[in-house]
Amino acid sequence: MPNIITANLLRTGDVVYFAGLNNWVREIGDATVAKDKDELSELEKTAQRDVESQRVISVYAMDVELVDGRPEPRSVRERIRAALGPSV
Amino acid sequence: MYRYDEFDAAFVRSRTAQFRDQVARRLAGEISEEQFRPLRLHNGLYLQLHAYMLRVAIPYGVLSARQLEQLARIARKHDRGYGHFTTRTNIQFHWARLEETPDVLDLLADVDMHAIQTSGNCIRNTTTDPYAGVAIDEIEDPRVWAEIIRQWSTVHPEFLFLPRKFKIAITGAAEDRAAILYHDIGMRIVKGKGGETGFAIYVGGGQGRTPYVAEELRSFLPKEQLLSYLEAIMRVYNLHGRRDNLYKSRIKVLVKALGIEEFRRQVEEEWSKIDHVSIDLPQEEYDRIAAYFAPLPLVPGPITDAGVEKRRREDASFDSWVRNNVLPHRVAGHVIVNILLKEPGKVPGDATADQMEAVAALARAYGHDEIRVTYQQNLVLPNVALVDLVKVYDGLVAAGVAVGNYELITDIISCPGLDYCNLANARSIPVALEIAKRFADQSVAEDIGRLRLNVSGCINACGHHHSGNIGILGVDKKGTEHYQITLGGSPGDDAEVGTILGPSFPAEAVPDAIETIVATYRAHRREGEVFLATYRRIGQAPFKEALYGAPNSGASSRKQLQEA
Ligand code: SF4
Repeated sequence: MPNIITANLLRTGDVVYFAGLNNWVREIGDATVAKDKDELSELEKTAQRDVESQRVISVYAMDVELVDGRPEPRSVRERIRAALGPSV
Repeated sequence: MYRYDEFDAAFVRSRTAQFRDQVARRLAGEISEEQFRPLRLHNGLYLQLHAYMLRVAIPYGVLSARQLEQLARIARKHDRGYGHFTTRTNIQFHWARLEETPDVLDLLADVDMHAIQTSGNCIRNTTTDPYAGVAIDEIEDPRVWAEIIRQWSTVHPEFLFLPRKFKIAITGAAEDRAAILYHDIGMRIVKGKGGETGFAIYVGGGQGRTPYVAEELRSFLPKEQLLSYLEAIMRVYNLHGRRDNLYKSRIKVLVKALGIEEFRRQVEEEWSKIDHVSIDLPQEEYDRIAAYFAPLPLVPGPITDAGVEKRRREDASFDSWVRNNVLPHRVAGHVIVNILLKEPGKVPGDATADQMEAVAALARAYGHDEIRVTYQQNLVLPNVALVDLVKVYDGLVAAGVAVGNYELITDIISCPGLDYCNLANARSIPVALEIAKRFADQSVAEDIGRLRLNVSGCINACGHHHSGNIGILGVDKKGTEHYQITLGGSPGDDAEVGTILGPSFPAEAVPDAIETIVATYRAHRREGEVFLATYRRIGQAPFKEALYGAPNSGASSRKQLQEA
C-alpha cells in the first residue's frame, strides 16, 4: 500500500505533508509517495532530519490511495485533516 | 465578581513569562518536543487534528464584559475569529499558533485570566449553577465556595500530579443545574438541623468509559471544614488511585473497588489526622472572598412590563424566546436571560468574536457587567431588568444568538468530535447539525418539550452523552463512522446513566433514528409528560421495537437502513 508522511509544523501547528527535505507542503496531492516498505523507510529517514531541526512535530506515515498518480487520504480522519479544516 | 489580588496577578504574570521563555527555547531547538509537551499542556496548549488548541479557564463559568471582550480580541487577532465554549464551562481556541501563544497568555493575564490547570492530572475548573446568586431556589451562593476551591486547588503542591484529572462541581440551589452527581466530587449546599448551612458531599461520579453516578459520602459537613475534608478525600485518592492503568485511574474506580463505606472510613481517618486549623479557611478570609459576591443592589420592580407584553403579542419569535429562555430572578422585576449558542446550522457552543462582543456590550449596558457560561455550552445574562428585556433581545437578534430553544431537543450539547479532536472516533458536529435541522420547526420542538440530546465523538464523553435523555456516541466500525444511541440518561437530581438501545447506526441513519425515537415518545406520552418521564414509565422496549423491529420479526429496520 502506498504511503506518505504527514506532520504538524512546530511554529504554527499547521498540517503538512512531506515532499522532500525541508519541504513540507499543505496540499496532500503534492506529497512524496513511498510505493513500498523500502521507499517508506528512506522517506522516514529524511523526514526525521526535519524533526531533528525542530521544523515539525507529530510525524507519522499514513496510507494513501493514488488517484491519477496523486495521493489521497483513505481514512475519515485523514480526509478531514487533508481538507485543512472541519467538515462543517 | 472576584478580582485578582496582587498575589494572584503576580503569579499569573510569572507563569506567562515562564511559558514565553519555554516557547522561545523550544523554537530555538534547545528543548525537544518530548520535554516541551508537558510544559505546554500545563498551560492548556494541546496539539489537535488541524492545529494547536488553547483551552482557557473560565472559573466557575463567570465572566465580566471586559473578559469576554478580551476573548473576542484573541479570537480575532490570534485565532480564526471564533471560540468554542466547552462542557467544563471553559473556552477553546482551535487554531492557536505556538509562536503567538505567549502573547495570548499576556492578553489573558491583562484581564485576570489564564490557561493553567485546563489540562493534565490536576484539579480542573470547578463548575457551578449558571444561575448562582440569582436563582429563586438558592440556599446560598455557591460561587463563594467555587472561588475558595479555585484558590485552594490552584497549584496545590500535593495535587498537581494526581492519578488522573479531577473535576468538582457545586450547587447551592434546590435543583441541581450543575450535574454534580457526574463529578469526581459533587457538592450541594444544604441546611443542617439547626438551620446552619453546610455541604452534602458526593463522590465517584463521572462519564467516560465507565460512567457512574456519584454516591453520597457525607450528608452534612459544616461549611467551615470544607477544605480540610476535601484535602482528606484528595489524599486518599492520591495515595490509592490507580496509576498503573489509565482506564482505572479515576476516583470513581477507587470508590467502586473499595465500596463507599470503606472509602468513607479511610477519608474520615485521614481527616482526623489533618491539622484542620492550618487548612480550613479563617472566617475573615471567607468574609473577604464572600464580599466579592455580595448580591447586587437591585431595586425590585413590577413583575410584568407593558413593553414586553406588547412585543410578545406581536412577535411570535420573541414570545417563544421569552417562554423558553427567560427565567425568573430572585429580585422581582428582573430576569435571567439564557443566550443559546445553538442557532440552526451553527456549531453548538461556538461563538464568533462579533457575537462575544455583542453579548459583552449587552452585559455592560443591561446586565450589570456579568456573563455566565453553562456546561450546556450556552451563555447567560443573569441580571437583566424586565424593562430592558426587549432591548436585550433586539441586540441578540442583531448578533445572531436569539434562538429560543433552551432545554429543547435543538439545544444539543456536542463535543468537537473528529472535526477537531485528535482522540475522536467519529464526527459529532455534523450529526448534531443534521438533527437540529430535522427539528428546526420551533412549534415542533416546543411540542416535544424538555429533552436533553448529547453527542460525543468518542468514549471520553466530553459531550456528556451518558447523561443525555438521548445520548449519541461516535464509534469506529471498520473505518466508518457509526453511532450508538443511549436512552434515559439524566444529569440532574434524578441522575441516571443512559442505556444502550442496540447496534449502532451509520451516520446518515442517525437523524431518522432520532425522529423515530421522538415519534415513539409522542405516541406514548401522557398529558404533560416529558420525554424522560415517558421513557421511565414505558421502558426501552417500544423504542427498541420502533427502531430495530419487533423481536424475532426478522425484518430489522436497522438492517434496511444500513443497506440503504
Ligand atoms: S468526547 Fe472524544 S471526540 Fe469528543 S472532544 Fe472528547 S475526546 Fe474528543
